[in-house]
Amino acid sequence: MSENQKILEVKDLVVEFNTDRGLITAVNGVNFEVYRGKSIGIVGESGSGKSVSALAIMGLIPNPPGRVKSGIIKYHGENLLDKSVGEMRKIRGNKIAMIFQEPMTSLNPVFNVGNQIEEVLKLHQPELSKEDRHVKGVEMLSLVGIPSPEKRYKEYPHQLSGGMRQRVMIAMALACKPDILIADEPTTALDVTIQAQILELMNKLQKDLGMGIIMITHDLGVVAETCDDVAVMYCGKIVEKSDVKSIFNNPKHPYTKGLIESIPSFDSTSGAAKGRLPTIEGMVPSLFELPEGCSFQDRCEFSTEDCRGSKGSPSLTKVNEGHKVSCFNPLQ
Amino acid sequence: MVPILLGTCFIIFVLFNMVAGDPTQLLLGKHATAKQMLELKRELGLDRPFFAQYLDIVKSAFTFDFGRSWSTKQEIIEMIKIGAMPSLTVSIPAFILSTIVSIAVSLIVSFFRGGKLDRIMVFACVAMMSISSLAYILFAQKFLAYELGLFEISGYEPGFPYFIPYILLPVLIWVVLNLGPDVRFYRTIILDEIYQDYVRTARAKGLSEKMILFKHVLKNAMIPIITYVVIQIPFLILGALLIESFFGIPGLGGITLNAINSSDFPVIRAMTVLSAVAYIIFSVITDVLYTLVDPRVRLK
Repeated sequence: MSENQKILEVKDLVVEFNTDRGLITAVNGVNFEVYRGKSIGIVGESGSGKSVSALAIMGLIPNPPGRVKSGIIKYHGENLLDKSVGEMRKIRGNKIAMIFQEPMTSLNPVFNVGNQIEEVLKLHQPELSKEDRHVKGVEMLSLVGIPSPEKRYKEYPHQLSGGMRQRVMIAMALACKPDILIADEPTTALDVTIQAQILELMNKLQKDLGMGIIMITHDLGVVAETCDDVAVMYCGKIVEKSDVKSIFNNPKHPYTKGLIESIPSFDSTSGAAKGRLPTIEGMVPSLFELPEGCSFQDRCEFSTEDCRGSKGSPSLTKVNEGHKVSCFNPLQ
Repeated sequence: MVPILLGTCFIIFVLFNMVAGDPTQLLLGKHATAKQMLELKRELGLDRPFFAQYLDIVKSAFTFDFGRSWSTKQEIIEMIKIGAMPSLTVSIPAFILSTIVSIAVSLIVSFFRGGKLDRIMVFACVAMMSISSLAYILFAQKFLAYELGLFEISGYEPGFPYFIPYILLPVLIWVVLNLGPDVRFYRTIILDEIYQDYVRTARAKGLSEKMILFKHVLKNAMIPIITYVVIQIPFLILGALLIESFFGIPGLGGITLNAINSSDFPVIRAMTVLSAVAYIIFSVITDVLYTLVDPRVRLK
């Protein structure tokens, strides 16, 4: 197992949705890679296309109205987009697993926890006997730090707290030892203390199991805590991509900088000294009426004529080793 | 349960004794003398205090002793016993068949949701609901039974298996009549569940759409479905007024209809009390059944 083994590569992914008001491009030419044992954070506001990118990898874009228009999602050398429905089912939950934002509603209320974990095993490891599945299920529950797993195993989701349910989701996702775990805002619905526990758990399990994690979040704090690389998305495009340190120390895109500055903090280097939290002016433009050129132009204090379409849309270009930005006037 | 029953009996009492007017007038006609009316009142027990009459209704809800019919002088409970059989031979098979068919159709429709089949079925359901039930009965009797001779036009013969040829067409009509509203209802319930988060989780686990629909969605959908299905059962006992009268089935529906036509208050009241009791009992049964499908509900 080499250190930098690429397990997943998303290339020029374009996802469209057919809505009542017309066609929108929710994901527009996105590129990123997932390495074994590493985490990539995909950061962005609601509607920036981060969840849609993840669903595209899982092959779970609701169709209709959505569809992957073009692009390649290469997993172990094979394009997932060429796979049949049946082939994708064998990968989902087995090789690539996903956990969701809403632990309260993501588990089926009428089946007990053990039953739901065993379902994955039954599906992807049919060779296991009933007893083996039970043993493994209980093992998974203790792995995710659920106390008295044997007892919890027979309980129903409504008997567990939010944090416990998210642990169960993680246990379910990891039951088949996936290569990749996609976590779609896994801690957004949880209390801050529980958030930290869950993130810690994910970090630990990642080390133990060596899987790649795609962490989708709008919370840069989560990224700082868990990720090795970051991709910042805005209006369906990645606007900046780098390792986690460079992004925080030296953001190149004005949007990234704005995001970092709007993290509440006590030290006053970022303008919070005045007592007001800096925000990014304006609103995310509607995907129906994206401006020519850079999508961020209207909210950007550095925007020039170039940004308004005379030079086309900015593309992701390298500024430093491992640091790319899509901006005509990157910050220094 | 008991307070509900007492309340229901009270409403029945008020409706029959205060709102409905003087039954002796109806029975004796316009030219009855005051003396005749008083005598009849005594004979029927209508001169007793209101509270005693109310207690009679409450008692009948437990003992099923409803007294005698005013017009036929038969024991009402005997009439019900005789009428229940023909009613049930139609309503039970019809109910079971219609529930199975409707749920099956709605599962298929939900599986192809948003597709052509789904849209055609939704349209068909509305169209079927919009046609009067009389139209179905008359059409079926004229074309299927009379011209094609596929079914008996009407009539009934007691005893198994003699009644079978007579119930076929009523059962078919029942199923067709219920298909529209039922499929629409079940489809809505199933689609409500299909967009829940746990379904997305099930997909992410790699389950097939079929397994998701039949295992995860159906078990969750059973909760509203059970309510809808079980609460229909009390009405089966009463029979279907329209179908029974058109197909000449001597069931409880027919008895009720005759009682209404001849102002036979004790019979109407008996049927009302009976349906109220059945309704309460089946509501309790529904609650008990919930515990089977929904772990969040536990009997204390």
